[in-house]
Amino acid sequence: MAMTYKRNVAHFSDTVGVAEAEGFLAWLQKHPRPKLDLTECTHIHAAHLQVLMAAELPIAEWPRDESLTNWLQAALR
Amino acid sequence: MTPILQQFLSEARDFLQSISEKLLQLEKAPDDAALMADLFRSVHTLKGNSGLFDFPEMSRVLHAAEDLMSAVRDGRLTFSQQLADRLLDAMDFVALLLDEIPAGTDASAHAPASVSLAASLRELIVDAQQVDDEQVHPGEAATSRGSAAAVMLPLDAVPEALRAAWREAARAVPLHWIVYTPERDCFFKGEDPFHQARQTPAIVWQRVKSMEVWPPLAELDPYQCVLRFDLVSGAARAALDEHFRYVPEQVSIVPLTLQVLESGLVTASAAEGAVHAAANNAATPDAAAAHDSGNGTFALTSFAEAILAAQVTALSLPDDVAWLPGRVRAIASTLAACFRSSGRIDALPSLAAALATALSLNRAAPLRDWVTAHDALQVLPLEATTQSKTANTSAPAPDAAPQPVNADIPGGRRPDDAGAVLKVDQTKIDRLMSLIGEMVVAKNGLPFLAARAESVYGVRDLAREIKTQYAVINRIAEEMQDGIMQIRMMPISGVFQRFPRLVRDISRKLGKEVLLTLEGEQTEADKNIIEALAEPLIHIVRNSLDHGIETPQVRRDAGKAAEGHVVIRASQDSGRVLIDISDDGKGIDPAVIKRKAYEKGIIDEAELERISDQEAVNLVFAAGFSTAETVSDLSGRGVGMDVVRNAVERVNGSVSLTSETGKGTRICLSLPLSMAVTNVMVIESNKQIFGVPMDMVLETVRIPRGAIRSIKNRQTTVLRNRILPLRSLNEMLAENSPQVSNELDEIATLVVQIHGESLGIVVDDFREVVDIILKPMGGILNAVPGYSGSALLGDGSVLMVLNPKELVSWQ
Repeated sequence: MAMTYKRNVAHFSDTVGVAEAEGFLAWLQKHPRPKLDLTECTHIHAAHLQVLMAAELPIAEWPRDESLTNWLQAALR
Repeated sequence: MTPILQQFLSEARDFLQSISEKLLQLEKAPDDAALMADLFRSVHTLKGNSGLFDFPEMSRVLHAAEDLMSAVRDGRLTFSQQLADRLLDAMDFVALLLDEIPAGTDASAHAPASVSLAASLRELIVDAQQVDDEQVHPGEAATSRGSAAAVMLPLDAVPEALRAAWREAARAVPLHWIVYTPERDCFFKGEDPFHQARQTPAIVWQRVKSMEVWPPLAELDPYQCVLRFDLVSGAARAALDEHFRYVPEQVSIVPLTLQVLESGLVTASAAEGAVHAAANNAATPDAAAAHDSGNGTFALTSFAEAILAAQVTALSLPDDVAWLPGRVRAIASTLAACFRSSGRIDALPSLAAALATALSLNRAAPLRDWVTAHDALQVLPLEATTQSKTANTSAPAPDAAPQPVNADIPGGRRPDDAGAVLKVDQTKIDRLMSLIGEMVVAKNGLPFLAARAESVYGVRDLAREIKTQYAVINRIAEEMQDGIMQIRMMPISGVFQRFPRLVRDISRKLGKEVLLTLEGEQTEADKNIIEALAEPLIHIVRNSLDHGIETPQVRRDAGKAAEGHVVIRASQDSGRVLIDISDDGKGIDPAVIKRKAYEKGIIDEAELERISDQEAVNLVFAAGFSTAETVSDLSGRGVGMDVVRNAVERVNGSVSLTSETGKGTRICLSLPLSMAVTNVMVIESNKQIFGVPMDMVLETVRIPRGAIRSIKNRQTTVLRNRILPLRSLNEMLAENSPQVSNELDEIATLVVQIHGESLGIVVDDFREVVDIILKPMGGILNAVPGYSGSALLGDGSVLMVLNPKELVSWQ
């Protein structure tokens, strides 16, 4: 699984595909103070990116992948 | 090649055919809305299908064509000849691409052509849009046209330090600013714009923005893409074009020259000013645009975008204020001005409706929904600008390419009306055909077996049973054969349907007015015959247009209607297809033909005196004959009518021509319905058997030896008061034995017709008439003249089928 949820922490790993965006959105709505861990993530689908941008959440752990971090910071800043 | 690709190819060709047909029909009836809708649907479906495969070049052109058709269908554009020309060009281009697909040629070589075609199609939409603008708001159109050439760059979002660095870098390598706005529903096409953006080569800087204000999470639809990517890349333009080759219309690439980097500062601050102005509802964008277009680097679209965003913000404010109606009205008038100046006047009525709803509910929401629904304004200008840019056209750049917000709904997909029609590969039918041929041969062996059972083994009962069984198998085999023949039958419309386009193109090239009438398109014939017909027919029609029909002026002087009339009529007559091509042109002048033929040495002086006018007219079928004074690209190279005659004779057909000077020419083609089964008469000569095609045999007679006279070493006889020349088959085949006569000393004579003349072929005896599957001779034997081919008989022996025409001319 590219996305795993533990209590109020969402872990992103490898490439997160388009199909999981809806589940993520639903999860966000149930967890008012979520923590996002993207350490292991290499790419997220644009649909996920939209959810992250819309939710305006702080990212607890930025991806180790430098290019993705640059992009996410450019988008979420 | 995958089956689905094969199916696409065959369907696409059908679509192209029907599209060009409908275009031609529309030229005659430009107001036919149903036809228009039909045409749009065809283009739409073809575009959709092409999207299943990796043919961006094709899809791009079809997409532009679809947009154009949709503009016409919605009445934003009137159907014109120019429009038809460009669409036909586009369809020709698609046909070219289709033809290259099976060969596996890399279509990316056609990318520039594809882009310029698409641009030329879109240009028409834009032209019309601007005409509209000028009619409604004469001043604004000029303004927006001037300013739309520049692309808005939000350089203010970039820190000054970075911009300074770019200015440095731009001196060394060319930098490009890329604005990538994916389609709203791109996720459903399997695209990941974020991935696409990340993979852009040599990224220097990036930014991701939403084009809308984010709704609360509960209302967010993550699968509607509202992102906009801004990138700066140090890669070469070609590499960027290649990277975005699937989505060129969603991408705008601007070189970041030093000049742009400097002037971008101006743009940014001016845009800021506009936002403030709009937020206060104090200034209309018209005024702002008019004011700023002076510096030439300004884009109206930047205003439009900024203003729209400001309006959305304003509309999202809480509704519980006393001055809400005033605010809503002010916002609506701002929006109206904004859309009007962008050329989107079609959106105004719905805006008025939304305003009315908002006022009556005392809520801002209806107006906000309206803005969301119409935000295509932000996306489209970029797309349109890219198109005109890449095509390097100097045509006025569009300010907003019109596109109905819900373009896909009214056209829709046609319910599958193919029904019970099955498309089968021709090779499969051919295989069935040859199998049934073998079956017929095998079946014909049974009577021989019955005869042997009786004569060799002496079991008469068994022989009778075999014969009964044979009758059953025979009936089934004949029905099967008939069924397969039916499958191979095609209506002649397949050949006819290319003529409207051909006639239109040629007559326009020649400056003639021609009306084409097609009749009997449902007449059916074997596929091979239909295919063999295409080339000769094109030759004939070209000739008619080039030599036959006169120019309108000449026609009027001759007292005829200015418009010439060409009629192509097909009909079926006792096992043959007749095709009749007639025109009301100037006809063929026998005197001219005779003189030309004499000059070219086709006839000698004696013949010149002797031949009748009808015979003279038929000289046009002689090889190397041409009457055209000059060689044109249409006809006049002397490869005209003799090619027609040869092609028709190859499938056992015949041509005849009648012409009346000043009144017109008429050419009749007569062809067999099918070539698969040949009816031959078996004859015997010098203890061998041969077949002669029945369609050449006029009659069979037995002539008493005493009735034969010799004229100049040639044997002749008188048959029903006409002289009939006789030729011995043995002699023609170079066999050294005389023909055998029967006990009454009569000789068997087969009267055949060759080039309209009767000839008696003397043989030893007649046998039965049989149906055979004629196989052309292959290999070395192919070069032997005098034979049409061979066939297997029921007893396993080979029957050589003679070709009397060749036999006679070969002597």
